Amino acid sequence: MTLYKSLQGKPIRVLEKIADSLNQLNEKVDVLIELQKHSRGGIVNESVTDVLDVMTLLSLPDHLRKTAITLCNLGQATAEEIAEQTKRARAVESGYLNQLVLMGYLKKERRGRKAYFYVEKGDPGEK
Amino acid sequence: MMGKIIAFHSYKGGTGKTLLSINLAATYARKGKNVCLLDLDFRAPSLQARFKANGNGYWLNDYLNGVCEIEKVLIDLSHLSSGNGKFLVGLANPSTEAIREMSAKDRKWEMRALGRLLSLRNSLLNDMHLDYLIFDTSPGLQYSSINAIVAADVAIVVTSLDTSDIRGTQRMTSELYDLFEKKTGIVVNKVLADMLSSTAGKENFSEHFHNTHNLPVLDTIPCFCDVLRAGGTCVFAEEKPEHAFAKTVERIAQKIEKI
Repeated sequence: MTLYKSLQGKPIRVLEKIADSLNQLNEKVDVLIELQKHSRGGIVNESVTDVLDVMTLLSLPDHLRKTAITLCNLGQATAEEIAEQTKRARAVESGYLNQLVLMGYLKKERRGRKAYFYVEKGDPGEK
Repeated sequence: MMGKIIAFHSYKGGTGKTLLSINLAATYARKGKNVCLLDLDFRAPSLQARFKANGNGYWLNDYLNGVCEIEKVLIDLSHLSSGNGKFLVGLANPSTEAIREMSAKDRKWEMRALGRLLSLRNSLLNDMHLDYLIFDTSPGLQYSSINAIVAADVAIVVTSLDTSDIRGTQRMTSELYDLFEKKTGIVVNKVLADMLSSTAGKENFSEHFHNTHNLPVLDTIPCFCDVLRAGGTCVFAEEKPEHAFAKTVERIAQKIEKI
């Protein structure tokens, strides 16, 4: 009853807040699920890098595979450039790319206002 | 028009990938197209024997190792073609030592090799203006073959009528080519001539095969004694263009454009 009073008759705003928080939580859980599926030993660490070879590409869920292959083809790209190729929304690609970074397959670098993603810097054949 | 990358693949060995890739390349070259054929079967290289070429100091192995650029590897065999187009080949190193070394590569190397294969689109199709780049690969689910498929525009899968071969081809279609969203065409090779005539011709056979196995059949090739007899020493598409086998390859070339 006291809780209800403290809402001061604005339950809708509170519900919206709860929904927002749940959505954020959902996204985080998605990332964690992917991480657990793919990371070795389950260590959540951005500096742990895994190798994005073709067998790994095959094991990725469809939506992430599409993003990853597009990036392999482009070498390095922004979320916008990936979105142009995949015909999906920029925000969606941005989410997938960051997920792949968290999984240790991609690297991300900020240059000015833009964030660039890449598998390996420079010539892929260089040792 | 932008050039095209075609990868020949199969589930089992000995289905006719190399024979078909050589003859497809020769067909394009005869028509005046600029073609490059690469031997990506590092476990059992064969183009150096077919073309009696010894390499020019650099192999495709070196290119993938990042030791040299692709231009160093390519051998110009345009003089073997009656067409006006360029006919280039890149060879895999057939020495036992090189094969052993290639089979011991780790995942990181394979990832870089994929990058090197992907960048061929730029160096060969864009910069050198080649019309077709053809990959001849190892059978089965090899790193080198999957890398080639990922880098290609079209995958041509050659299968025999052997049940295990067909099953494997079906599995690769649903678990490999589809996952990479690759345009795929199946070529059924070594079909007995009487099977094609008794089922009222090739069209019926292809349709029947397509319906029973749910695979996109590009064409069917009967067993040709002449081809077997030549033992890989004759490029029919160049030397005997009127032969039924050469005609079949020509038809496959046309169908690839429509995939």
